[in-house]
Amino acid sequence: MSITSIAEDLPGWAQRDPDRTAVIVGDRDVSFAELDGLTGRLAAGLREQGVQRGDRVGLMLPNGIDAVVAIEATLRAGAAIMPINPTAKHDRVADLLRRSEAAMLLCDEGSAAEASRAVDAVDGVPCFSSLGQLSSDAAEPHEVPAEADLAALMHTSGSTGGPKGVMHSHGGLGFVTGSIIEYLELGPEDRVLNLLPLSFGYGLTHLLICLRSGATLVLEPGVGLPGRIVKLLEEREITGLPGVPTVFALLLTLRGLAERPLPDLRFLTNAGAALPTPALEDVRRTFPNAELYSMYGQTECIRTCYLPPDQLDVRPGSVGVAIPGTETWIEDDEGNVLGPGETGELIVRGPHVMQGYWRDPEATAPRVREGRTAGERVLASNDIFRTDEEGYLYFVSRRDDIIKSRGEKVPPREVEEAIHADPGVHEVAVVGVPDRLLGEAVHAHVSAKEGIELDPLALKRRCAEQLEDYMVPQQVVIHDQLPRNNNGKIDRLLLAQG
Amino acid sequence: MTEATTDVRADMRSFLEENFLYMHPNVELKDGDDFLAQGIIDSLGFVELVEEVQTRYGLTIDDVEITEENFGSIDAIAKFVSAKQS
Repeated sequence: MSITSIAEDLPGWAQRDPDRTAVIVGDRDVSFAELDGLTGRLAAGLREQGVQRGDRVGLMLPNGIDAVVAIEATLRAGAAIMPINPTAKHDRVADLLRRSEAAMLLCDEGSAAEASRAVDAVDGVPCFSSLGQLSSDAAEPHEVPAEADLAALMHTSGSTGGPKGVMHSHGGLGFVTGSIIEYLELGPEDRVLNLLPLSFGYGLTHLLICLRSGATLVLEPGVGLPGRIVKLLEEREITGLPGVPTVFALLLTLRGLAERPLPDLRFLTNAGAALPTPALEDVRRTFPNAELYSMYGQTECIRTCYLPPDQLDVRPGSVGVAIPGTETWIEDDEGNVLGPGETGELIVRGPHVMQGYWRDPEATAPRVREGRTAGERVLASNDIFRTDEEGYLYFVSRRDDIIKSRGEKVPPREVEEAIHADPGVHEVAVVGVPDRLLGEAVHAHVSAKEGIELDPLALKRRCAEQLEDYMVPQQVVIHDQLPRNNNGKIDRLLLAQG
Repeated sequence: MTEATTDVRADMRSFLEENFLYMHPNVELKDGDDFLAQGIIDSLGFVELVEEVQTRYGLTIDDVEITEENFGSIDAIAKFVSAKQS
């Protein structure tokens, strides 16, 4: 059996059931046939503008019908999508365009100012802020991409070095899409409410699983004013709600939600960061009829494991077992496979493992290793896990110092660099502090150069001008000097205690 | 515009200035301006805003009331508070 490319899903449904609703955005219901038509015209337009098979197309679009069409059309044109957070600033966008040698950047009116400054800095990358400008009635591309063709270049942050471009093939994304559909038992009768950005791996998968299974994707720009989400759950008869802990924490602040029957809502999923046990219990009390899937994944393989909901009472802290069609185990630093209760690095085996980091063999080598059989690759997750006697997985810790805020990765170093750009700053340390809504809040601790008085609000504004929204510190604290540990280094552990 | 809604507008403006507007020194927020569209408040900010309105005016606010119609702008909040109080 061949693994179906994700580019074939939309035209398949458009042919089999053209009037079925594919995507709902606000009051607009878009059928598979209409979405297929929009996609075909944009794919033709991309080709006319010179986008070729294998090219990377930057997509800096907020959740909406344009984002869906741009993703599908890029894939249909045989090119790879490169999602960019629509709140990214021009320096970051330019850096990503340069690193990926992108052929084009698509944005919208809201992101056009930063996008155009970015392309000005990178010679020759055409940028379009309206898909209508690009769409064409010329014949659309027809060849189906090969399994090994690059489908997505998704950037992820590490403790050191710049952003790394995770490469996923059409086959790899097609495989993981099918695997997720299998364990969620997703079908054409489902309606999934997606509040997560499509520029974020976890958000993107919901588009892919809906287009493959024939489920309807109800797409919102974010949580926004949460009364609207409650109305959508009821009026759109939502069956599935994916979230990160922040989404659930926001919903749990709502009075009256727990009394609503919501008879259609059959499943919730959590990923991005773990739900603390009290929050997990609150979620289950608030949505008693829905099954909750605790999951874990990383950009390098999209999704790693899930806890079957019937196991939630048995082992509430577990993130479960490897997703269907894949395998996981735990190794020590010498590569020995560890048994129950022992902690070590989680290793992932399956067709969903990334092809590697874009043009970065040095960063790829320690993460994508040779597998047990010739030519096979396995992923070293860089995360520390243990298993129980029955083999269920438990997340223990990260190996790096990344902060998880709102379910997204915040590299402290990038925030520190933004603050250090202020000439009055002597030292800065950015740490994650437990937070009811954010999971971890970003706190920056700063000391000034002698004779300088720093304004914490000005430093916060500086961060907002340079960083994506989720990276901007909630608090900037000015110290006379930063605390030191016994080794004379800044005592980050002390600072992280808040 | 009644005296009460004028007060709500002034209260809200000072709350917004203290908590959100300092991050947007170039934005001159008018009473009818949409917080979300202007990028002044995100979903986490609305939690703070709703808590402030509940505490300050002693109101109980239901889940489905937290919408753009009731919390989307200073005008919307003034109208909502006055309707809840009457």
